[in-house]
Amino acid sequence: MSAPLLDVQNVTVRYKETVGIRDASLRAGEGEILGFIGADGAGKSSLMHAIAGVIRFEGMIRFRDRTFRSPRQAEALKPAIGLMPQGIGLVLYRNLTVAEHLDFFAEIRNLKQDAAFRAYRQKLLEMAGLARFTDRAAGHLSGGMMQKLSLICTLLHRPKLLLLDEPTTGVDPLSRLELWEILQQIRREEGTTALISTAYMQEAARMDRLLLFDGGRIIAQGRAEELTRSVRDYCYEPTDCPESRCIRTLDTTYSLEPLPAPKKEPGLEALFFVEAIRRGKIPPAIEVSPRESAEPIPPVVMEARGLTKRFGDFIADDHIDMRLAGGEILGLLGANGAGKTTFIKMLLGLYPIDEGELTLLGRPIRSAADRRELKARIGYVSQHFALYKDMTVLENLRYFASIHRIPQARARERIRRYAEELGFAPYLHALPGDLPLGINQRFSLAAALLHEPVVLFLDEPTSGVDAIARAQFWQLLQKLKERWGIAILITTHYMSEAEYCDRVVLLKQGKKIADDTVENLHRRFPEAKSFEEIFLRFYKEDG
Amino acid sequence: MMRTFLSLVNKEILGFLRAWGLVAVVLYAFTLDIYIAGKGIELQAKNVSVGYVDESGGVVSLKILERLHAPQFKPPVRFLSQKELDRALRNREIMVGLLFDNDFSRDYERSGHARLNVLLDATAAAQSFQALQYLQHILLDFSEIHFPVGLKIHKLFNPNATTSWFMSLAELLSMMTLLGVILTAAVFVREKENGTWDMMLLMPVDPRLIILAKSFSQVLILSLGIVIATGLILFGAFDVPIHGSIWAFFLLSFFYAFTSAGIGLFVAAVSRSMMEVAQLAIFIMMPLIFLSGAWTPIHAMAPWLQKLSLISPLRYYIEGSESIFFRGTAWGDLWPYFAGVIGLGALVYLYGFRRIGRLF
Repeated sequence: MSAPLLDVQNVTVRYKETVGIRDASLRAGEGEILGFIGADGAGKSSLMHAIAGVIRFEGMIRFRDRTFRSPRQAEALKPAIGLMPQGIGLVLYRNLTVAEHLDFFAEIRNLKQDAAFRAYRQKLLEMAGLARFTDRAAGHLSGGMMQKLSLICTLLHRPKLLLLDEPTTGVDPLSRLELWEILQQIRREEGTTALISTAYMQEAARMDRLLLFDGGRIIAQGRAEELTRSVRDYCYEPTDCPESRCIRTLDTTYSLEPLPAPKKEPGLEALFFVEAIRRGKIPPAIEVSPRESAEPIPPVVMEARGLTKRFGDFIADDHIDMRLAGGEILGLLGANGAGKTTFIKMLLGLYPIDEGELTLLGRPIRSAADRRELKARIGYVSQHFALYKDMTVLENLRYFASIHRIPQARARERIRRYAEELGFAPYLHALPGDLPLGINQRFSLAAALLHEPVVLFLDEPTSGVDAIARAQFWQLLQKLKERWGIAILITTHYMSEAEYCDRVVLLKQGKKIADDTVENLHRRFPEAKSFEEIFLRFYKEDG
Repeated sequence: MMRTFLSLVNKEILGFLRAWGLVAVVLYAFTLDIYIAGKGIELQAKNVSVGYVDESGGVVSLKILERLHAPQFKPPVRFLSQKELDRALRNREIMVGLLFDNDFSRDYERSGHARLNVLLDATAAAQSFQALQYLQHILLDFSEIHFPVGLKIHKLFNPNATTSWFMSLAELLSMMTLLGVILTAAVFVREKENGTWDMMLLMPVDPRLIILAKSFSQVLILSLGIVIATGLILFGAFDVPIHGSIWAFFLLSFFYAFTSAGIGLFVAAVSRSMMEVAQLAIFIMMPLIFLSGAWTPIHAMAPWLQKLSLISPLRYYIEGSESIFFRGTAWGDLWPYFAGVIGLGALVYLYGFRRIGRLF
């Protein structure tokens, strides 16, 4: 390789009290696509912002023949860099149309609007499939279209270095595919180098090289095959093993020492598990004791017929039928804006139902009064684990226990047991804001389980959480199902997590486009390698 | 029931204590802010700077100047020409300019009738006009006219007319209103901002109990605040006398805290963020304080404003508190104030309660 286009050496980003990324080094050649993989808070965005020259950092970055150590020195390079920050539609203005956006970005970049520019602009519009929608306001685009618009706005000044921070997170599978096609074409035609972070391991295959982030460090980098090959010896089919030296998940057992079990072809996430074992950070095994209450779980927990929710002209959920049986894990899948959260909120009575019938725990729901006594039998974990940030974990749990009128002695005992079993005992006296996402996730679940509900509604509990915590969480849900027999409705935008559900419902822009058991889906699409592919079919079929 | 109520209250108090920014604001409002109001807002003429030009060269002018002394006046400063005096006045170096011209002594001696020119900086309206009044008094003493009636003045309730007593008390009562609104609105709006609102709605607890407990927790904080402010600032810093029962004052404050909490409930119902709470609170507060007689006596207002002030609960609170402190009104005679605070307060609280209740 000739001299790399981008050379990052020992970059550290510090915030007031924390370190975003420590001692990161990387090189990228012209036309190369580098993937940043890791959980929220692992350091991907910090490094990207340092390279984009928008935050202060220690260390050195060289781009082309210029070296910079501060945002000020990076100023001269800005015309050659394009940064698309995290968050769907974050750089867009709701009231401006697609065409107005392109004009606006051309103007702030001070681009010469000649014939060549106009041709390039038109080409971008066509690549993004937005040529027909130039008059549409950004606020009326779907999440996938918004991301495509954000991407072509970032490409408008023909940057040589493209920095995309989670451009595909929460975007539907079809739009994600299209985003990748745009990138490939641009890379081919313009020779653009791109650094792209992603929450989806499946996208790793599209990158030339990968960097794996964990806890503010880069733990590995290389080509995807090289990386997975490096841990191939440590992955086995699920099997028993000494607890202190291995990690077990639902589908794999990771161990540095040889085990008497068949080997398993690892995925990329295996690197995170092996790294954790190497560093002696083995998470405690998750356990769930049987519930104390003898209340039977009804055979049908929830039945919805034609549930509809409108916000003005916008139909968030369009006549959705769904059935949740006792002892079943039902995955509600879909992109951001597909109507998952709205649906759960209708079930819970947080949004009034505009149309349709709902039966919860055998009782038809017509008014708020119908719900009142049901509240004590439902557990709910909201998006982002919204618990009280100014109270410690223990205080939060005690508060929920007393609200649910659990006798004090029993509450104390239950909190102690959950803390042990779900592995957050060391953090009982910490404030939730100071804890990793994975701990927050499990303690929020504990809060929702204190009163031993018969049904659990979980709204994106795995979003942004690292691979190990996610695997543990799914193990935990599985155990809950086995030991308690309760019904669980869980929403997620990770299509691959469908694997761990009993049945999945796929939503697309407020409509249900698939509803089947996981077994049936595998049977129907035997050649599909992953759920990602299966759902892509449904998306394409739906048009 | 009681345990649920207590843990709801406990949670809010804990949340308040952990939000150190909020604690700091409340402590400031109940101490330093009231102290500054008592010290800083001075309606009487004090330390008025005087300049003069004396072209008369007589004794009379000196005699007059001698009478301008502390604490009302600073020692007069001499200027050499009318032009300089003029400039000093415009540059705010002096507030009052006296001009004894050539004719002053001469006229005085010849006809007993002289003219003293006074220049006033009327931007500080109250103070400069009071200074003028002092001047007129001084001149009156000099005049030969003997009018056979003199004034013997008895200042009741506040013999030295100490402004700090009145101002600090009025400020404390205004703060009760403002903090009551903001604190109560905050306990609800913070749940909206942090995304815990849904969790709150899903608790198997009667919504009325939640609202009651949440607002009660803030009433407790306000009550503690008023005890601190009364002890530390009113009694401690300003030596405000109390002729009535302090318990009557605390009880009246307790009821009034519910009134301001009621406004807070309404504000919480219509705001989505703390920013909106702050804006709305100020917007509602200002007319309430204007109409209450905190800053201007009610009898000095326009008639229609006087009528309007009857529906301001703050009016009854202020009048009641002043009666307790300065007039020493007995328990039995306080009933109009208690009736006003409780009656209007109940209406306001119920309204706020129903507005926020609709969100549950």
